Amino acid sequence: MTGAAGHLDAVGALMRRALNELLRVPGAAIPGVLAPSLFMLGLTGVFGELTELQGFDTDSFLSFILPVSLVQGATFAGAATGVNLARDIEIGWFDRLLAAPVPRPALLAGIVLSASLRSLLPITGVLVLGLALGANWPGIDGLLVAVGLGFAFASVAASWTVGLALRFKTQAAAPLMQASMFVAVLFTTSYAPQEVLTGWLATVARYNPVTRVVEGVRQGFVGEVTWSETWPALAVLVVLLALMVAFALRGLRHAGD
Amino acid sequence: MRRASAGQNLPVVGALARRSIVQTFRRPQFLAPILLFPTLLLAINTGGAGRAVDLPAFPEVGGFLDFQLAASTLQATMLAAVSGGVALALDFELGFNDRLLAAPIPRWVMIVGRLAGTAIMGVVAAVWFLAIGLIFGAEIVGGPAGALVVIALSALAAAAFGGLGAALAVRSGQASVVQGTFPLAFVILFLSSAFFPQELMQEPAATAAAYNPLSFIVEGLREPVLYGVSGEAILHGLGGVAIVGIVGVTLTALAMRARLRAA
Amino acid sequence: MAAIETNALERSFDELRAVAGIDMAVAEGEIYAFLGPNGAGKTTTVRMLTTLLRPTAGTARVAGHDVVGDPGAVRRQIGVALQEAALDPLMTGAELVRLQATLHGIARAEGRWKAAALLERVGLSDASSRRIGTYSGGMRRRLDLAAALVHEPRVLFLDEPTTGLDPASRQAIWDEVRNLNAGGTTVFLTTQYLEEADQLADRVGIIDEGLMRVEGTPGALKAQVGSPHLELSLADGGAERAEPVLARFGEVQPPRDGVVQVGLARGAAEIATVVLALDDAGLTVESLELVQPTLDDVFLAETGRHLEGADEGEDDSADPEPEAAGADARS
Repeated sequence: MTGAAGHLDAVGALMRRALNELLRVPGAAIPGVLAPSLFMLGLTGVFGELTELQGFDTDSFLSFILPVSLVQGATFAGAATGVNLARDIEIGWFDRLLAAPVPRPALLAGIVLSASLRSLLPITGVLVLGLALGANWPGIDGLLVAVGLGFAFASVAASWTVGLALRFKTQAAAPLMQASMFVAVLFTTSYAPQEVLTGWLATVARYNPVTRVVEGVRQGFVGEVTWSETWPALAVLVVLLALMVAFALRGLRHAGD
Repeated sequence: MRRASAGQNLPVVGALARRSIVQTFRRPQFLAPILLFPTLLLAINTGGAGRAVDLPAFPEVGGFLDFQLAASTLQATMLAAVSGGVALALDFELGFNDRLLAAPIPRWVMIVGRLAGTAIMGVVAAVWFLAIGLIFGAEIVGGPAGALVVIALSALAAAAFGGLGAALAVRSGQASVVQGTFPLAFVILFLSSAFFPQELMQEPAATAAAYNPLSFIVEGLREPVLYGVSGEAILHGLGGVAIVGIVGVTLTALAMRARLRAA
Repeated sequence: MAAIETNALERSFDELRAVAGIDMAVAEGEIYAFLGPNGAGKTTTVRMLTTLLRPTAGTARVAGHDVVGDPGAVRRQIGVALQEAALDPLMTGAELVRLQATLHGIARAEGRWKAAALLERVGLSDASSRRIGTYSGGMRRRLDLAAALVHEPRVLFLDEPTTGLDPASRQAIWDEVRNLNAGGTTVFLTTQYLEEADQLADRVGIIDEGLMRVEGTPGALKAQVGSPHLELSLADGGAERAEPVLARFGEVQPPRDGVVQVGLARGAAEIATVVLALDDAGLTVESLELVQPTLDDVFLAETGRHLEGADEGEDDSADPEPEAAGADARS
């Protein structure tokens, strides 16, 4: 089957295979949900008193950190996609897909969309846990914004790590994928508002585009959802997605080099 | 033919330890978690929560970085232990351990060799974070003696945690199972006074930290940097290591016995 | 003293009797081949003899020591090259052989030059400082062999040493095995290849479904199932006229498609006489072929199945789906 319909089929099939791993392997989903949840709880238990410092606009550290964990969960799902692809390339499975008459964009779309779908699991897990433990209710608008931005960021993470996997073609690149995501999300106003950050991190957070995404997700949990906080996050996501998708597509097109 | 006597086990332990370290440095995905992630976390904790020293109840310290070094060192040794466990499990999966089992060496040498390698990674971790601390402005109040205490305790802690990793590797024989405990290494540290003074933590983490052996190990690693060498802190540190070590050794011995009996 | 001795050796895995009671005795200095299809119990037997697996019944002694009662003594005397090749892809070839030397209590300096000598011997000197992960299948087997020899074992166990190798690599391994044996090493090898058993072994034990079916020298085993026969095709439809001539030499099969068969008890030695007799009778031989019984014929006689045919049918043809091992990224 050729043409758009056939491509959609291919995209769907690839998404289904990626989701199979989640559905058919018991416990496969657990680390992805557990890690950010535990990080959220752990950081709250350890650094909860930071809200006493001047500059925090909330006295609930849990509400402050929950959005970070949400974004983390989304990026773990994205990074996992890249790591899995590196494994698939190493064992030769990916050759099967490359040799098939599926256009490269469709191939990428299938992989990235499945990552985004996967990210809904940790996003939901973190939200449910955080709210159950007393985080501020973000309102429906805050919730939608948070989930939407998280979902989109998962696509960014997936595209980036897919590009890395295609570049390096080995699972040894996994730390690079994980560390880059770690840095991207945490070298922001993750632990504290901009005013409370010190030294080099204050500077990095100010210029890190992901800070806008974290702030966008955080809005409802520490205050009101406003367009002025939302549009920068959207803009960053659009730009990052375009860049990362281009990076990944380039990798796909040169996969045989 | 040579008989393997007690004296001749030492070279075998050494050779296996050497292999363990070489493996770690030749696999980026093993080395990175041990040094890279704790370093990144140190950077974030220091930059993000550094103002915590302004909190009234925060103890007198040279700086938040000085306070955090022990946590990073301990985290690195725990991750080194998990890495060692993954490598040991891979040896089972790939059949490399058959080579060792068919050789005239006592069974315990296989494990001790691996743990010796992990202990050396503990030394590497301690030296790494002490160096980073010094470069970024921390002060080791205990001087060279303090540094030595930190390095020695880190090596022992690495070996003790290595025992836990080895137990899981021997029991499961699967690298993916041991790999799955990486997040645990992060989490368990949150339930201790590694990152923040126990008095300033929130419940229930604060209570957990009060009884967590890791808090004692952290104390042993932290005192020489913040306040100088203290016998009490060293004892606490050794006590924490002993608790972890005993659990690890027991579980490893049981797992080994089960595996060899099943063979 | 036998180098290897087993008595009703057995190994079960839950319901499955992988080895169902094997008696054998391998003499010192012998090359003994254990021949059988996949799943016959060859590897299980080797693992018991090399102390990696505990027998569930029966006994085994290697180099005079009980594998269960005194495994340490057994391990000191044996060299082992297993099917999975127990190699670490991150180590270099030299590092592996040196490690093996250390495992056997050989001092560092001695281990170094022994490793170098052995790697030279198996043709891996140039590759010795490269990581094993870059080695071809043939190179890995040669390396495994070198490692197994570093402590000059009395008994060498080779589990399917040439499976998956190209003919040149296979020949190289065979030559090395012959050299070792010439030096006095007892070699116990398992194989699924007839030619390997035929070429190398002093004696062959044929195993199927966990049991020893038959044992003996290759020649004796083959003689049991028949003698060689000569297939002749003759010019000008002379096949029928050849029958009475050939009947003087052995049993004649009726001609088919112009080809006539005669059994020759003394094999090739009689060919010239047969051809001369046909020539005297005015018959011209266009082509002839001496067909020997094979160990496959022996296997067929014992089990009713072909040895090599059974293997071909079990080939994995398609790429399998990789296991969905849930190998998610973990930080």
